[in-house]
Amino acid sequence: MRVAVDRDHCIGAGSCAMTAPTVFDQDAEEALVILLTDSPPDSDQDAVRQAIDRCPAAVIRLLPTK
Amino acid sequence: MSLPALPMPAEDERPFDPPPEYTELRAGRRMVRVACPTGLDAWLVSDYAGVREVLGDGRRFSTRPGLAAHVLASYAEDGPIDNFTRMDGPEHVRIRRNFAPQVTHARRLAELRPMVERITDEAITRMLASPQPYPLHSQFSTAVTTAVIAELIGVPPEQRHLLHQAATALFDTSTKADELREALTPLYTYLCEAVATRRAQPGDDVLSRMIEHSADSDRPLTDTELTEMNAALLIAGFDTTASMITYGLVALLNIPGEWDKLVADPSTAASATEELVRYLSVGAGLLRQATEDTVLNGQRLKAGDYVVVAVQAANRDPALHPDGDDFDITRKPGAHLGFGHGAHACVGQQIARMELTTVLRALATRVPALRVAVPLNEISWKKDSVVRGPAELPVAWT
Repeated sequence: MRVAVDRDHCIGAGSCAMTAPTVFDQDAEEALVILLTDSPPDSDQDAVRQAIDRCPAAVIRLLPTK
Repeated sequence: MSLPALPMPAEDERPFDPPPEYTELRAGRRMVRVACPTGLDAWLVSDYAGVREVLGDGRRFSTRPGLAAHVLASYAEDGPIDNFTRMDGPEHVRIRRNFAPQVTHARRLAELRPMVERITDEAITRMLASPQPYPLHSQFSTAVTTAVIAELIGVPPEQRHLLHQAATALFDTSTKADELREALTPLYTYLCEAVATRRAQPGDDVLSRMIEHSADSDRPLTDTELTEMNAALLIAGFDTTASMITYGLVALLNIPGEWDKLVADPSTAASATEELVRYLSVGAGLLRQATEDTVLNGQRLKAGDYVVVAVQAANRDPALHPDGDDFDITRKPGAHLGFGHGAHACVGQQIARMELTTVLRALATRVPALRVAVPLNEISWKKDSVVRGPAELPVAWT
């Protein structure tokens, strides 16, 4: 699984950081998403999919794996 | 030919369910024109994908008319643009990014949790020392959520009646625009003074943090913006969450088996919170306005057309959950639209989640024998408010 985020359209809702805290964090200044890893392990895939569903600004997406 | 009326919640007839008309509309993803209580006509969308599309696309569907202008008489057509709930695009993002670090940052939320736990515990201790039946909505739910949001923003106890007064007027469907202005003035006046005080003497509260946070930006928040933002947090921050606590407990204590599951394992409070918000939220729907000629669910819309999204119906869409009409607090939490979706998704949703989870866990642990002290058909429901739920809820525990 490969993940990408679009910080320009992030609203800092925090849903991803609460749903998949090992993959997503938030910066201190604006609470915008920080991607901790763009290739999360299999054990995090379910949480990443939930984070995508829950992101109100739809700024998280899966990339095709190489 | 007159249009059919927008289907409205009717808790006396069906305490937990959206109007039955939605089942058919939603199944066919059908768009119909409806007449709304405030006199405007709108397209009604009730399926999950359609509602998510509207709320998620602020470019095609503007929030400028006001999210509740279809049900609240107080929404003036050209309301003040300093109200961030009516802003679109970059203007709105600027405001939103000043909220986020204070109320939607995961680490900040973790810091606030002990405060919410303390307030909840104190309220339960007070309740258990009181005669039964106990008026839960006013004395517990509203007391807890008021104390949380007031402590967060630094509003002292003697000023907290101001937010109750403002919320009553704002959420009442019959309040006129000029009456609303009058009802909001005391809270706005208090907050204007508080902005000046915190600029001079910053504290650790949300208001002080917003001032400090925006000071270094290209366009620091003005006093008016700070007043508006904090008024919104205070007003929306206690009544909606308090109503969800009370309404949620009616569901938990009446739908067979669910309270027992929570008592048996209080750690289900988090999934119970998610399920309650999915199941019971936003009964009267949210309003948007098309910004351009467009197509939604196969229907042509003209620029300027109003759209009402039926959030509660969409959350029950079989496309989301095949058993979406069932209430199950151990349902695996997934996506739902109970806090809205898109750029205007509820800014207080993480605080609301934390409050609901804390309260449910604490009640299930300390008051496992909690019960509603009247039959379901004798509960008095709020009629004139867009924030749905019981007007009061007598409970007992012995």
